[in-house]
Amino acid sequence: MAQNILFYLAAVMAVATTSMVVITRNAVYAVLYLIMSLFAVALVFLSLNAPFLALVEIIVYAGAIMVLFLFVVMMLNLQGQRGDEATKRPTRRQMIVPGALALLLLILIVVSLSAGTPAATNAALSDPKLLGELLFTKHYLGVKLSGIILLIGTIGGLHIGRGGSIPSTMEKPIDDVTH
Amino acid sequence: MTGALSNEPLWYQLLIAVIKASVLMGALLGVTGWLVLAERKIIAWLQGRPGPNRAGPMGLFQPVADVLKLLTKEESIPPFVNKILFIAAPAIITITAMVSYAIIPWGPNPVWGAISNLNLGVLLFLALSSLGVYSIVLAGWSSNSKYAVLGGLRATAQMISYELSLSMALLAAVMMAGTLNFQLIVEAQRPFWFILLQPLGFFIFFVSAIAESRRTPFDLPEAENELVAGFHTEYSAMKFALFFLGEYMGVILLSGIMATVYLGGYQGPILPGPVWMILKIAVLFFVFVWIRATYPRFRYDHLMQIGWKWLIPLAVLNLIITAVLCLTFPNLVPNAIH
Amino acid sequence: MGPIGLQHYLVLGAILFVLGVIGIVSRKNAVGILISIELMLNAANINLIAFSRYSNKPIFPTTMPEAAYMDGQVFAIFVIILAACEAAVALAIILNLFNMFGTIEVDDADTMRG
Repeated sequence: MAQNILFYLAAVMAVATTSMVVITRNAVYAVLYLIMSLFAVALVFLSLNAPFLALVEIIVYAGAIMVLFLFVVMMLNLQGQRGDEATKRPTRRQMIVPGALALLLLILIVVSLSAGTPAATNAALSDPKLLGELLFTKHYLGVKLSGIILLIGTIGGLHIGRGGSIPSTMEKPIDDVTH
Repeated sequence: MTGALSNEPLWYQLLIAVIKASVLMGALLGVTGWLVLAERKIIAWLQGRPGPNRAGPMGLFQPVADVLKLLTKEESIPPFVNKILFIAAPAIITITAMVSYAIIPWGPNPVWGAISNLNLGVLLFLALSSLGVYSIVLAGWSSNSKYAVLGGLRATAQMISYELSLSMALLAAVMMAGTLNFQLIVEAQRPFWFILLQPLGFFIFFVSAIAESRRTPFDLPEAENELVAGFHTEYSAMKFALFFLGEYMGVILLSGIMATVYLGGYQGPILPGPVWMILKIAVLFFVFVWIRATYPRFRYDHLMQIGWKWLIPLAVLNLIITAVLCLTFPNLVPNAIH
Repeated sequence: MGPIGLQHYLVLGAILFVLGVIGIVSRKNAVGILISIELMLNAANINLIAFSRYSNKPIFPTTMPEAAYMDGQVFAIFVIILAACEAAVALAIILNLFNMFGTIEVDDADTMRG
């Protein structure tokens, strides 16, 4: 029962905030709604008995990546880049693929919800020690690869970010900061 | 997920948690005012001047006067700010700091134990401390004024940089304790306090903690002679007081975490656990103030260099040393994962 | 309300994924597009963890029977790592884009000369 309540609460919150991410035209608001959506997803993880993943999601996504996003948006805002943007009206041709995908998923939803609901077959273990063991034995190669990817990401980010200095932050009057 | 009281019914656990939380919050809110006074007095003492001494004997009623002033001041919201975020920002820092207190154990038994004895306590602490950054980012951005935005940008860069070394230093201690539960980390320090096994880790954690709480010498985000007051330039009255409260609660929280992870937490001879905990926090708070009164502010590029070129490599080194230590001397740290 | 089954999570993941796709299609702003990509990665994460919770047997044989069902969680960790790398590099690219074109609207950045 607790899982039910948690799931529905988190799911409604996730869908609502994620819709707002897509709807809102202000980049800063989009990032803030995305943070709320990440919290909702963390709650979903919690309802799946994965508290470790829920906290990692908050630490890494909400605590680090989203701060970076907000940082960049703020910096661009300062330089007179308007946070708002006009809605781009997708042409009919552009809507084919997402439309087909949505239709497919709709069919999937109808079919899957009409089928029975099998209960969880295992109490997915939430012990971080066990997860660590699994990570460093069975998925050792993956750990190494992600280490390499992180290194590549660091070097790539440094190299790309290094070229050309950002123009002076205070050239534009501050009134241009948009909301 | 709660450990100590899991045999009791749920409502009972909730009741106990609510009572403990209200007592702790009341104590913290009451104590913060006098901590400000203590800080001012200590700095005055270190600089050879009397400090606040008008309100009451030795200035003891100064906090009362300060709080009354802040409460009765006019609440002014500048017309050019983003109202929702402007109001939300000071709340975020106070709430994240307050919630973090739930995981600090004050004594060995369930009565004095942490309000919520989480198995993933260390991760929760890291998550909440990383969320505190938003308060400053949003305060800076929503204020919509030059100094506030600059202060906010500086604070963001500083806090996400130093959070890395802070969590890596903490990770080495976790490795030695073999658990992410603060209560068990304290229990793992029965033979030796971790400050003896992890001197480098303690040093890294302390420096990062000063930077995380944005205090001198790392107070560039609010450097008053260049940025007016940084991200809280536009704030007044109670909202300013919330930032102040958040900062002090953050300092006590980080002192509490340091006392728990490196100084043996509530352990100590003769005196009961909570008293030891408070003593250790007081000593650490004194060191915070001492450093503030002693060192000049860093330059911004120095600050970034210290974070990225010194502390983080040192933290990685510390992790490697700890791993080797755990594997070669299993008797020294019986709880570590081998 | 019956018990929550695997498909509830899959449906949630699908909805979030489609919202991400809509975001990518309807946005001009490079940061907005990046945000939508993060949404899609998150939707995938929900699915991975749901599969790990509801799986009947381990995907690969393993010597650790008690950890046999946590593969999905491990994959989710990898996805989060990837997202972090991707965000760092992409944001650096966006800053460069802004330096070169003075805008972060992807449609306006249409010159091939460096």
